[in-house]
Amino acid sequence: MIPHRHFLPWDRSLLPQAVAWLAGRWAGGAPLDLSRVLVVVPTRQSGRRLREAIAAHASAHGQAAFPPRVFSPEALVAPGPVADMASRLESQLAWVDVFRGLDLAAFRGVFPVDPPARSFAWALRLAQDFSRLQGTLAEVGLRLADITAKAGADFSEVERWRQLAELEQQHGAKLAALGWRDGQAVKIERASAPGLPDGIERIVVIGTPDPLPLALQALAVHAQTVPVEVVVFAPKTAAADFDAWGRPLAAAWAGHVFDLPDFERRVQLCASPAAQAERIVAMTAGYGAAEGVLGIGVADSEVLPLLETGLRHAGLTGFNPEGRARYGDRLFQLLAALAGLVREDSFAAVAALARCPDFLDFAQARHGPGFSVAGFLGALDELHAHHLPPDLAEARRQAPEIAELTAIAEVRATLTAGTFPENAAAALGLIFSSRRFDLARPADVLAAEAAEAWTEVMREVRTAGKKLETVSTAEWWEVALQLYGEGVQTDDKPAGAIELQGWLELLWEDTPHLMVAGLNDGLVPYAVVGDPFLPESLRERLGLKTNAARFARDAYLLQALAVWREPAGRLDLLLGKTSAAGDPLRPSRLLLRCADAELPRRIAFLFSPAESARATPPWRRAWQLQPPRVSAPSRVAVTALRAWLDCPFRFYLSRVLHMAAVDPGKTELDALDFGTLCHAALEAMGHEPALRDCTDAGVLREFLIAALTAEAAKRFGPELTLPLIVQLESARQRLSRAAEVQAQTRAEGWVIESVERKFLLEVNGLVVSGKIDRIDRHEQTGAIRVLDYKTSDGPVRPRDAHLRAARRDEMAPEFARYSTEGEREEVWRDLQLPLYLRALAAEFPGEITGGYFNLPKAATETGIVPWDGYTPELAEAAWRCAGGVAAAIRAGEFWPPNENVRADYDDFAALFHHGAAASVAWPEEKS
Amino acid sequence: MKPVGHVMILASAGSGKTYQLTNRFVRLLALGARPERIVALTFTRKAAGEFFDEILNKLARAAREPAYAAELAEEIEVPALGSADFLKMLRAVADDMHRLRLGTFDGFFARIARNFPLELGLAGEFEILQEHAARMERERVLRRMFERTGELHDAQREFIEAFKRATFGADEKRLGAQLDGFLDRHQEIFLDAPAADRWGNPLRIWPDGCEWFGAGADLAAVVKNLRTWIDGAGIGDKQRSRWNDFLTALAEWSPGVAPSRALAYVLEKSLEAWTALKAGNAVLEFDRKKQELDPTACAALVQLTRQVVGAELARRLEITRGIHAVLSGYEAVYHDAVRRAGKLTFGDVQRLLAPGGTGARVLSREAADDSRLFIDFRLDAEIDHWLLDEFQDTSFGQWSVLGNLIDEAVQDPTGARSFFYVGDVKQSVFAWRGGDPRLFREIFDHYNHARPGTIAEEHLVKSFRSGPPVIAMVNAVFGAADAITGLFPGEAARAWNHEWRNHESAKPQLGGQVALLEAEDEAGRFATALQLLHEIEPLERGLSCALLVQDNDTAARLADYLRREGGLPAVAESDLHVCVDNPLGSALLALVKTAAHPGDTLAQQHLAMTPLGACLAAEGLGEPEALTRRVLGQIHAEGFERTLDTWLSRLEPQLAADDDFSRERGRQFTAAAGRFDLTGSREVAEFILFMERHTVREADSAAVVRVMTVHKAKGLGFDMVILPDLEGTRLDGRREGLAVQRAADRSVDWILDLPGKLFAGHDAVLAAHVRSAEAAACYESLSLLYVAMTRAKRAMYLIVKPPGKSTSRNFPKLLAETLGEESVPVNIGKLQLPGTFAQGDPDWYLGVAAATQAAEAAPEVERLDPAAVLKSRRLVSRRPSAGKTGVLNGIQVFSIEGHGGADFGTAVHALLAEVEWLDEAGLKRFEAAWAKAGVAGAEALACLQAAELARVWKRPVAAQAEVWRERAFEVVLDGVWVTGVFDRVVVVRDIAGRALRASVFDFKTDYLAGESELAGVVARHMAQLELYRRVVAVLAGLDVSAVECELVITRLRRSVAVPREVK
Ligand code: SF4
Repeated sequence: MIPHRHFLPWDRSLLPQAVAWLAGRWAGGAPLDLSRVLVVVPTRQSGRRLREAIAAHASAHGQAAFPPRVFSPEALVAPGPVADMASRLESQLAWVDVFRGLDLAAFRGVFPVDPPARSFAWALRLAQDFSRLQGTLAEVGLRLADITAKAGADFSEVERWRQLAELEQQHGAKLAALGWRDGQAVKIERASAPGLPDGIERIVVIGTPDPLPLALQALAVHAQTVPVEVVVFAPKTAAADFDAWGRPLAAAWAGHVFDLPDFERRVQLCASPAAQAERIVAMTAGYGAAEGVLGIGVADSEVLPLLETGLRHAGLTGFNPEGRARYGDRLFQLLAALAGLVREDSFAAVAALARCPDFLDFAQARHGPGFSVAGFLGALDELHAHHLPPDLAEARRQAPEIAELTAIAEVRATLTAGTFPENAAAALGLIFSSRRFDLARPADVLAAEAAEAWTEVMREVRTAGKKLETVSTAEWWEVALQLYGEGVQTDDKPAGAIELQGWLELLWEDTPHLMVAGLNDGLVPYAVVGDPFLPESLRERLGLKTNAARFARDAYLLQALAVWREPAGRLDLLLGKTSAAGDPLRPSRLLLRCADAELPRRIAFLFSPAESARATPPWRRAWQLQPPRVSAPSRVAVTALRAWLDCPFRFYLSRVLHMAAVDPGKTELDALDFGTLCHAALEAMGHEPALRDCTDAGVLREFLIAALTAEAAKRFGPELTLPLIVQLESARQRLSRAAEVQAQTRAEGWVIESVERKFLLEVNGLVVSGKIDRIDRHEQTGAIRVLDYKTSDGPVRPRDAHLRAARRDEMAPEFARYSTEGEREEVWRDLQLPLYLRALAAEFPGEITGGYFNLPKAATETGIVPWDGYTPELAEAAWRCAGGVAAAIRAGEFWPPNENVRADYDDFAALFHHGAAASVAWPEEKS
Repeated sequence: MKPVGHVMILASAGSGKTYQLTNRFVRLLALGARPERIVALTFTRKAAGEFFDEILNKLARAAREPAYAAELAEEIEVPALGSADFLKMLRAVADDMHRLRLGTFDGFFARIARNFPLELGLAGEFEILQEHAARMERERVLRRMFERTGELHDAQREFIEAFKRATFGADEKRLGAQLDGFLDRHQEIFLDAPAADRWGNPLRIWPDGCEWFGAGADLAAVVKNLRTWIDGAGIGDKQRSRWNDFLTALAEWSPGVAPSRALAYVLEKSLEAWTALKAGNAVLEFDRKKQELDPTACAALVQLTRQVVGAELARRLEITRGIHAVLSGYEAVYHDAVRRAGKLTFGDVQRLLAPGGTGARVLSREAADDSRLFIDFRLDAEIDHWLLDEFQDTSFGQWSVLGNLIDEAVQDPTGARSFFYVGDVKQSVFAWRGGDPRLFREIFDHYNHARPGTIAEEHLVKSFRSGPPVIAMVNAVFGAADAITGLFPGEAARAWNHEWRNHESAKPQLGGQVALLEAEDEAGRFATALQLLHEIEPLERGLSCALLVQDNDTAARLADYLRREGGLPAVAESDLHVCVDNPLGSALLALVKTAAHPGDTLAQQHLAMTPLGACLAAEGLGEPEALTRRVLGQIHAEGFERTLDTWLSRLEPQLAADDDFSRERGRQFTAAAGRFDLTGSREVAEFILFMERHTVREADSAAVVRVMTVHKAKGLGFDMVILPDLEGTRLDGRREGLAVQRAADRSVDWILDLPGKLFAGHDAVLAAHVRSAEAAACYESLSLLYVAMTRAKRAMYLIVKPPGKSTSRNFPKLLAETLGEESVPVNIGKLQLPGTFAQGDPDWYLGVAAATQAAEAAPEVERLDPAAVLKSRRLVSRRPSAGKTGVLNGIQVFSIEGHGGADFGTAVHALLAEVEWLDEAGLKRFEAAWAKAGVAGAEALACLQAAELARVWKRPVAAQAEVWRERAFEVVLDGVWVTGVFDRVVVVRDIAGRALRASVFDFKTDYLAGESELAGVVARHMAQLELYRRVVAVLAGLDVSAVECELVITRLRRSVAVPREVK
C-alpha cells in the first residue's frame, strides 16, 4: 500500500499546523484523544515539542489530551526486549572473540598485513568498527553477506567483502553458540514483521524528511493493516520534489535555487566560532525574554560550548536538549580512578583516587570529624616528595600513619577479588556505604541517576560476562567505562532556558526569529568524506544515505526554515571563516544555490575576508600581589644568607613566608635529594672510626656504596624505579671516585676530625645556624681544613661560588661589595665557608682553611678544591657582608627583588609577569 | 580532456606563485578537467584556504567582467573563453566544493590512511595527536617506563646500560629531563633511521678504515721516548714547557672531556703536520719557533695523537650507539602504548604511507597488483592532476608517498593527466624540518633525461609585489656574487650564485624607499623602528606594515613594546601563552593547584596575595580544608571551565573598568579550560600543564602593525617592512645535534655524535660532512634573509648594529659589504637617522592618500518586535512522577541485584496494566499466565488475589464505567505543562455518558518495612496524586472533589486513600 501524502503549506510554521492537522475536527468538549494514533517525528526533541503543543492546543479549549504514541523512526524499529538478542556489548565481545582467534592469513582480503599486536584493545577497537559497519548497513536492511550481490558486477572489492561476509558468519556462529542472536539481524528481521502497539488505528509520519530506511520498511508492512499517512511540510505545488515517504528527492533538490532575500544582511560571515557565539548571545540578551521569539540552531559543535558560556555570562541559560555525555561527569571520574587502581596499584592511581570527592566523603565517614582533607592530601604529597613510593604497598610501608591508605587498600582488595562486576559493585557499595541520596535534592538526584546508569552497565556486563569468560577484570573495566561514558545524561529543561538545537531539529522550531550558527560546508550539508569500507560510490549502489541525499535534505530544510519566516519573522544564518584552531572554513554550498547570474556576487560576498577582529589590547597588569608582612626571623640557616644575597624578596617568600611548591609530577630525585643521599654515605664514612686511616680506595668505595645503598633502601624501599636506579648508579660512580680521592687525601696526611658538626653563630643580632660537612686535621702540621661536599653537575671553585663580578648596573648593597686595588669590583653571593671558618676560629686557633670536596658528574673532575688565596681581607669583607645581611634581615629589608633570575630557574616564576618588582606591591614598613 | 603538459616553475619572491597556481587550476578546468580530479597541495591549511578563495574570486570576477575574462583566457592560453564560460566553471567548482582536493600534505595523507587502516596494519580508526596531546603521551610513556616492575626485566636493564653509554661520564642526575631532551633532539632522526647499524658504526663512517684507531699498546714507552727527545732537543724553555704541559694534560685527559688548552695546542700542531709526522720528519712551530722532530719523536707524537683522537672518536661512537639504544627503548614502549592505541602524529601517518615503511604499499591508481594500494575506489577519487605548491619545502618523505601517483600521471601515454610544481629554492627556510630543495631539480632531471621536454621549465623573476627601490636593494645584496663568495663557504656561495637571476619590478611606478639604518643594541633597534612608525604613520595612510624578526619571543617583546611605548595597535603573530602570561591566569592556576595539593604553600600563599584570595575568604574558603573540599568537588562535578568561570566572575568586579586586556585573557582562559575538559580528564596536574602550554595566535587583521617571524611572513607581502632583528654570530653554523650523513637517495648512511672541531676537522670524512652541513646551513640563512627582504612592496628599513671590525659572518656583515659601510645620515620624511645606505624617495609615503578609514560597520542588530510577532508557545514542564522523594542509601543505589527497583517495578506495572475488569475467569487466566513471570508475576498476582484490593479491579456498579490503564496524558495546569501516565483510573458515568466520579489508583512497588511507613509514603506522594486528581478532573469533566485517589502498595497488598492536599 502506498502511503497517503498530505501537504502542510510552508507559509506558516510546521508545529501548530501539525497539531491542528492531527486534532482534525476536534473542538473541545471532551479530551483530545489521539491515543490510537502513532505519530512518527524525526527526533526525540521534535516529539517533545509536538506533545507540548498538543497540550497547549487542548488547554486552549479548556481541555487535556490523551496524546498519540510518538516515535522517532529509530525507536520504531528498535527491537523491544527479545530474550535471545545479543546486546551491543555482547555483540562486540563476540567480535573480539572472533578477531582474537582468527587466522589472519586466511583473511588477507580484509587484513592484508598483520596488525601491530593482537591485544584486547586492538580487537575491541576493530569490533567497534565492525559493529558500526553492521549498523550502517542495517539502516537499509543489509548485512555484510548481502554486499557482493548488491554491489554489482564491476565491483572492485569482491574478495574483501566475501571475506567480511565470512567473518560475519563466524560472528553469528559465535553468538549462536552462546545462545544469542545478533542485534542488527534481529532488527532487520523485525522490520519485516514489526509489531504495533495495542490499539493503534492509524499511523502518521509527519515532518520527517530523513527517516531511517529500515523504519520505512516497517511502515510499509504496517500499511497493510492500518492506514499510514505522510505529512510533508511543503506546499502541494512542490509535491513532485518529494518521494512517497516525504523525502526530498535528490534530483529535484540538487539544482534547487534558493531565494534568500536580503541575503547579505541575513547571512553573517564571522571570523571565528567565538564571534558566532557572541552575535547570538548579543541577540538573545537584546530580547530580554527571548523565549518563544528567538530560536537558536547550532550546526557547528565548536560553537556550542562557547555559546553556553556566553549565555551564562550574560545571565541567560542555554539548554542542550541532546544532553551531555557521561564521559567526564563526577561518577565517571571516580570509576576511572577505580579502573586505574585495578590496572595497577601504582602511587599515581592512589593519588588519583584520593582526589575524588566521593572517596574523600568515604574517608570522612570512616574517620569521623577528625578527618582533614587538606591533611590527608598534604600527607600524600609529602610522602610522594620524600619517598617516591612506586606503589600502594610501599606507600603504606613508608607512611603507616596515613590511615586513608588502608581504606584505599581495602577498596583495591574489594575491586580485585572475585569477578567483575560484582567486585566493582562491592567496592562502590563500600565507598558509598554511608552516603545518602536525598531525592528531594537535585544534586543527589543527578548522582542517583548516574549511579543507576552505571548499575545498568554493570548488569549488562554481568549478563554478557556469564558467557564470556576470557575477558579479564581490567578489560571489563575498559569496556564498562566506555559504555558508561558514552551514555547521555539528559536533564529537564530549566524554566526560561533557551534551547540550543541541532540542525536537524530546526524544522520543528516555530519561533519567528531563528539564528543558526555553523552554516559551513561539511556541516550543512553534512558530508561524509571517505570510509574504509563504504565509499560514496558503494553507498550509492547499496542505497545507503549518500551525500547527495544529505544535500537534498538540507536544501529542503533550509528552504523550509526560511520561507515562512520571510514575511513576519527573520532567519539569520551565521557562518565561520575559521575554526577555533584557526583553520579556514568554507561557506555552505547551500548558500551558493542561487541563480547563476547571482553567483559571482555571492562568491564575492561569502569569500571576502571576515570582519576584522577586535583590536588587541596591550598587555596590562590586572593587579599587583599584596604579600603579607610578617616579622623578620631571628634565626636562620647559613644557606639563607646566600638566598638573601641572591634575592631578598625571594628569600622573604621562601624563608620567611615558607612558600614551597608541591611537584606532583616528580618521578625522580631532585638535586637536593641527590645531594642528601651522597652526603649521608659520606657522613657514615666519617663516623666510622675504622676508616679514619684507610688509604685503600677499594675498601672505602665498598663502604660508601654500601652506605648509599642502605640509605636508599631505607628511604625508597627495596625495589627502585628506573630513574632511581639510574640516579643511584650516578651517585655510586661519584662516590667511587670520591673513595679514591679520600684514600689519596688520607695518604697526604689529612685525617677526618669530625663530620656534620653543628654550630651557632651570632651575626649582628641574628643567629645563624649550620652544619659543617666535615673537618679534617693534618696529622703532621695540625692544620685544620673545613670541607663542604658539592654534588652539582660541574666542579665548583670556592671563590667562584662565593663571589661574582659586579654587574654594570650593580644593585647590591654596599656591604655586599668587595673590591681590591686595580681589580674589577666583586659581589658576595655566598658566605658559607667564611662563616664556617669564623665559627670554628675559637676552637681551632691555628691554621684553618676551607674548601670543597667536589663530586661532579664527570668522574675525572672529582676532587678537593681548597680556597686558595682566602686572605684576611676577604675574611674581613665576608664578615662585614654577613653583618650587613644579618642587619638587613633583622630590619625586614626584603626589597627590591633580583630581576636577573631566569624564569626556568625561578621557583617563584608564576608570581611574576613583566618584572618581579613591578608584579608586587611591597609594603615598606613604616619607620 | 586535452593534454595540458607538465610544468616546473621556479618563481622568485613576489613573482606570483599563487597566481600561477590558480591560473593552472583554471586552465585545467577550462580544458575540461573535473574539479574533483585535481589535487592541489600546500603546507598550511591557511594557505590552502587562501588558494581556494583566490580560485573562486578569480572565476567570479571573470564571470562578471568580460574584459577580465578575456585577460584571464589569454593568460591560461585558452583564448576563446568568455564570461559565460567562466561562470560555468564557477558553478561547477561551487557545486563540487565538498569534493575538491585542495589542502595540505598532512591532511591528504591522513585521509588516505583513514581509508586504508587495515592495509596499513592499524586497528580501525585513528586519532591525530596534536602538539599538546603528543607531549602528554610522551610524558605518559616516560612515566610508564619509570614505574617499578619488581625485578628489572631485560629491556629495562638494557635501557639503563644504554643510558649510561649515551651519557658517558657525564651522567645527568635527572633522567626525565635528560630523556626529554634526547627525544626533542633525536627522535625524528631515530624514526627516520631506526636501524642500529646506522648509529655510531665505524664501518659505515670510514668504510676504508680509520687511521685514528689502533694507537700502540705501550703508551708509557711512547711518552718516555717523547720525553727523551724533549729533554735532549735544543729547544727554548717556552717550547719545552709547552711539551711538558702537553704531557701532563695528556695524562689527565679522558675522552669526552674538552681538551685543555695545553693539550689542544700541541694536538693541533700535530694534526696540522700529520703527513710529515707520519713520514718521520716533521717541523713543528711553537710560538713562532721552529723545532725539528726526530723520527722517534715523530712516531711518538703520532702514537699519542692517535691515542687521543682515537679515544675520543671511540667514545663518540659509543655514545651514538647508546643514544640509539635509549631511543629504541623508548620507542618500543611508545609504539606499544600510543601508536598501537590508534594515536598517530602526522609524521607517523606519513611514515606509514611511505614505501618501504612497515607493510606500506605504493599508492596507485592501478588496481591490478597486490603490492599497491588502489586509491580510486576508497577515496572516491580518480586523480588526474597534481599541483604542488612551495615545492622547495617538500620533504623527501612527502615526495616518496606521492611519487608513484605522480609518476603514473607523468607517464600517462594519453597526456590526459598532469603534474605541475612551483616554488623557489631561494626561499628554502624549512630545511630544518625536512624541506629538501634539491628535489626540485632532481625530479625535473629524472623525467627530462629519459624524455627531454617531458616537463617544461619556467622562471619567473618579475616581481608583482615590490617596487623598484626594493628590487634594487634585493639585487644589490643577493646578486653580489663576489661578496657572497668571499664571505661564505664555497658550496653554498656557488649554489646561491648559480640560482641567482636578477629580479625586475613589474611595478616600475611604485615609489618607495629602502635604507640600511644603524642602532647599537636591541633597545636602540626597537626605538628606531618605533620612530619610523611614528613618522610614516602607515596605518593612518592605509599602508600595510610588518616588522619581521627571527624568533617568537622577540616578536612578542617587540609587539608589546610598540603597544606600550608607542600606543600602536601592534599584534605579535606569535603564539602567546595566554593562560600564564598575566596575573589573572596565574592566580586561577594557583587556585586549582591549592585545591588538589593543599600542602602547596607556594600556590596557597600566592592565591592569598591576589584579589581572588579575598573572594575566597569572603566565601569562607580562606583555609585549605574548605577550599579543597569545595573546589575539588566543583571540578569533579562541573569540569574546569565552569569551575574557573565561576571564580572568574567573582573576580570581575575587582578588575579596573577599562581593563579590557585582563577580561580578554579571562575569556581565553575559560575557552582553553573548556578545551581541556573535552579530554575528559579532571586531573589538576595535567590541566596545569595543558594551560601552561596552551597558546593563542593573536588574530591577524589588516589595520594593525604586524610583528612576526620571517618564517611566518613567508608568502605574505606588505607595503612597508622593518627588519630590526638581523643580528647573530654566523650564518654557516652547522645545526647542532647529531651528524646525519645521507646517501644520494636520502637514506641515512651514518649517524654520529660529532666530536669537537679539533677532532672532526682533521678527519677527511668528518670534515667533509661538516663542510656540507655548513654549506646547507649557510644556504638556509641566505634564504631567510632573502625571504625577509622580499616581503616589502614599497619600503624597507633594515636596522642593524654596524659590524665595524667584527669578522662575524653574519647578516650585518653581508649588508655592510654589499650596501656600504660609510655612515650617511638617512632622511625619512622629517626624520634623520644614522645609516649607511638609502635609496628611493624619503617622502614616498606623503603622496599616499590617507586611507578612508571605513569603520567596519558593526552588523546591525535587527530584532523583531516581540509584540508584533506570533510567538512560539513555550511552557514550563513537569512530570508528576519526577517529583520523587525519599532517601536512598549508597548500597541500594549501587547494588546490581539490590532493589532491582526499576526493572521489577516496570514489570509489575506492565502486568497490572493487562487487567481491565477482574472476574473469576479472568483471575484464573492471569494465574495461569503470570506463573511464568517470576517475582514480578507473583507480586502482581498477589495483588489481584488480595481481598483488600478487590475494589481496584472490580467493575463498579454503574451505568457506564471506563478504565484507563497505563494511559498517557498531556495537560496544561496553571500555565505548567504536565505530562505523565496514569497507572489506573476508573471513571463512572451516567447513562448519558456524563462522568459522575472517578478513582485514581497509583501503584507503588517500593519495598516497605511495614504499616508504620505508610503515612510517610502518603505524605511523599500527596503532591503527585493531587496533580493526578486535577488532571483527571479536567479529562473527565469533573469537579476535583469527585476524584478520589489511592495509592496501591503492592508489597503490602493494600491501598491507602490519599486525602486532598490542604494548602
Ligand atoms: S688502609 Fe688497608 S688496612 Fe687500613 S682500613 Fe683501609 S683497607 Fe683496611
